[in-house]
Amino acid sequence: MSQSLRPYLQAVRSSLTAALTISNFASQTSERHNCPEIEANSSPEILLNPLHISRNENEKVKIEPSYNSVRISIRIKQADEIEHILVHKFTRFLTQRAESFFILRRKPVEGYDISFLITNFHTEKMLTHKLIDFVIEFMEEVDKEISEMKLFLNARARFVAESFLTPFD
Amino acid sequence: MSQINYRTINIDALDPESSTNFPMESLLPATLPQPASASDAANAATQVRQMLRGGDPEGALRTVLDTAPLGGDDRAKEVHLATVIDVLQGIRQGEMTRILEGVCSGDGGAERADCLMKYLYKGMSSATPSSGAPTPKNVVSPQNTGFSQIQARNLAEGGGGGQQMSVLLSWHERLVEIAGTGSIVRVMTDRRTV
Repeated sequence: MSQSLRPYLQAVRSSLTAALTISNFASQTSERHNCPEIEANSSPEILLNPLHISRNENEKVKIEPSYNSVRISIRIKQADEIEHILVHKFTRFLTQRAESFFILRRKPVEGYDISFLITNFHTEKMLTHKLIDFVIEFMEEVDKEISEMKLFLNARARFVAESFLTPFD
Repeated sequence: MSQINYRTINIDALDPESSTNFPMESLLPATLPQPASASDAANAATQVRQMLRGGDPEGALRTVLDTAPLGGDDRAKEVHLATVIDVLQGIRQGEMTRILEGVCSGDGGAERADCLMKYLYKGMSSATPSSGAPTPKNVVSPQNTGFSQIQARNLAEGGGGGQQMSVLLSWHERLVEIAGTGSIVRVMTDRRTV
């Protein structure tokens, strides 16, 4: 792992550990409702101060905590346009299958590429430290995945161009 | 009535008793220090920079955290944030742990640790494109995509305030070791923002 990636992930891990101390909290506005307060936005009292962690302006994480839910938004590194397209395709693939990922949000927060929404029901059903591990591992893997895809794409483009131009040789 | 679709009106916003209109000021403690102005923050900044130049980084960090404008306006807070980041960048990597232990101990040490944690998060939230790094879109033309790998490395390591962020991140790591996760929780819940 690179030298500057480790403190970044460490900061995300400790911030998530702090933010994921959430508990059940019924809606204040409508009776017998129970919704993630960070999304419902029903009262400014319930939303806590958001935390930002950034490695540089292309890679950052925003953690928006509230009483019963935490929204984690990740901006994935995009150094050029190919990576931008790859990240877009990759996150779209995931968000379209958000049902089977449980904590994935269907739409990323503006300015970020992918968002997770963890509610108290998730932390009750699953182990909190495993959830944190999942987010950290996702962040590690996604960079690797994107650069791998880019290399593959370049190799493939070169091969296609060569075979396309052979008849004109 | 025919003009407005009354079903779309958020009636909670009109009700002074509703939770949407929660008075946020009531969450602030009564013992908040007097609001500081930008000039006060600038005065504190010169004093702190003198201490830093005089070879007293621990005293500088202690002073800058004690004089944080918790009740100040946005301008004062910005000036003070710049001072704190200057102090943090002026301290060498090897001295961090020693200085942090000094600052976070003694009378009011826990408050200073929380205050520093607030500044670390605030510093990271204001990711400034100050170094004038050109946006990737301008750098890469469709022709040289085969070589873009090299450019990507340069951009990721050097440009875009990455240097400042890595300083803040290593401070964050040390501070969590000393002050613990509770300090982060207090950053989230404390309404006295810096």
